[in-house]
Amino acid sequence: MTVAELNHQNSRLEESLYLRSFKPRLMDWQAAKVFALKNLRIAIRYPANFMIWGVLPLLWYAPYILMMVAIAGPGTSQHFTELSGFQDFITFSIIAVFVYQYVDKSIWSVGNNFRWEQFSGTLEPLFVTPVPRISILVGAAFSDTLQCTFSACVLLIISSLLFGVTYAFTMVAPIVVMLTMMVFALYGFSFLIAGMILVFKDPSVLTELISNVTYVLSPITYPLQALPSAARYASVLVPSTVAIITIRELAITGLFEPITFLQAAGWMLALIIGFWGIGILAFRWGENWTKERGSMGGF
Amino acid sequence: MTQQESEAFQRMWTRRGLRSEFRAAWAISTNIWKIELSYPLSVLWFIVMPFLWFIPMLITGTAVAGGSESVVLNDLAGTLDWVTYIAIGTSVIGLTISLMWGTGFSLRREQNAGTLETLMTTPMNRSTLVWGSMLHNLQHGGLGVILQLGAAIVFFGVTINVWGIFPALGIIALAIIGLQGVALAITCIVLLAKQGWMIVEFITSGLLLVAPMAYPISVLPPILQYVSNASPLTWSTEAFRGFLMNGLAYQGVIQAVIALIILDVIFFAVGYLMFTYTERFVRRKGALEQF
Repeated sequence: MTVAELNHQNSRLEESLYLRSFKPRLMDWQAAKVFALKNLRIAIRYPANFMIWGVLPLLWYAPYILMMVAIAGPGTSQHFTELSGFQDFITFSIIAVFVYQYVDKSIWSVGNNFRWEQFSGTLEPLFVTPVPRISILVGAAFSDTLQCTFSACVLLIISSLLFGVTYAFTMVAPIVVMLTMMVFALYGFSFLIAGMILVFKDPSVLTELISNVTYVLSPITYPLQALPSAARYASVLVPSTVAIITIRELAITGLFEPITFLQAAGWMLALIIGFWGIGILAFRWGENWTKERGSMGGF
Repeated sequence: MTQQESEAFQRMWTRRGLRSEFRAAWAISTNIWKIELSYPLSVLWFIVMPFLWFIPMLITGTAVAGGSESVVLNDLAGTLDWVTYIAIGTSVIGLTISLMWGTGFSLRREQNAGTLETLMTTPMNRSTLVWGSMLHNLQHGGLGVILQLGAAIVFFGVTINVWGIFPALGIIALAIIGLQGVALAITCIVLLAKQGWMIVEFITSGLLLVAPMAYPISVLPPILQYVSNASPLTWSTEAFRGFLMNGLAYQGVIQAVIALIILDVIFFAVGYLMFTYTERFVRRKGALEQF
């Protein structure tokens, strides 16, 4: 027996030992970490993307701010103050745009993660690895959160300089807590989208649809009170709504009200549980549906 | 090959003239429609898209204005009715995006489908491929404009002057020539950079930002006002809205038409030259089918 044959036999023995001792788990954190690192490694290869994503959203949201200036004059309007309780609609909008970047990322990146893997031709090999699919999604979500945090901070800094707005830096701690909770709730939301994309395939239209509906329901450039009552109920089910309202209040007023904050955190916790539950169920259903039809690698 | 097939082949190779090119462009346009309509979600998106873009603007405007009139806008643009101003202005967004993305990425789409080289070897002008896609996007985007304006009239009380419809269509026709120049330039980026969507996104979003769709250009910083004046989208949006709001009484018509003609000539000539050069360059390099 040659050395190569011996090595091959040993490695097969190791492999079979691993596979024999393998037990299905709900979550594999090691796999999530590996996947997150893999995605981050790819992302770091394109450093310009971090900067571009810090500037590009500005081109999308600036028309809203310019429109408000054209309709109401620079900075404020009586009706807006009565409706929202805030004076300056530019300060009001920019912090919400910052928070909304995470929603956008969860829809476009995490939700579409398996689609991108499909385009790269790595989806089927990924799906035959003995790790829970959710851990792959969590890994992708984690790497995207890190990338998004960097780009969103660039966006916030540039917007603040460009429009001359300032926020209460002392409120960073509760803002980070609320932002983290929202990000966790969004992970569940993105699992739901990932499941839908496995079923419907065509990501551009579905993602555009979800992204635009979520945008309308999120109180970014207008207060929640500006929405029709039915839309308001739907709006509070979107994780970003509570986060935007709370973070905006903290960042603009610089006042921390424990009871209001705990209420918001409680609601966010309920959303985390709800979205993770629905998201995992929807993803598993989508995965089984696709596997049964043998259309996993199909376009 | 049968004799009949051979004759058809001979006829195809000897085809010449504008009519033949138009027929080829029409076939490409019909083909894209067929592909789009075979995805039910695409049809749904096509119907709801104009509303989903307009509704956040409407809610934002209502939140700051408190009603359907704005004194500030009256001072800036000469109209109190901000809802009509924005509804007509933003209705052009869909058409613009359709022309930029749809036409600009037409060759890339064929490349992804593996049909680009086959199409390039057919006996038609290379630019007819782009013109065919433009023809489709014109229909697609044009229907979107009609849909958004129709919904704005029915649901949001927007009023338009019927006498202005035909001149407004004339303005759109003029705008398309200049925008086609931009689309041809985008096609060059796609041909060279293959993906290049980020550059295209910057160009499209930049053009939309400086266009007076939801606000007059006087609210832009001075440097962006200069950029805005050099864009055919600015003049076409202003004139399109001017005609639909004021009918034949629209006063800026001469200035808008002259500006559009000058910009059309510049944009189209530059875009066409860029396309001809790039297409030859890419073919010479043998990089047409490269991803």
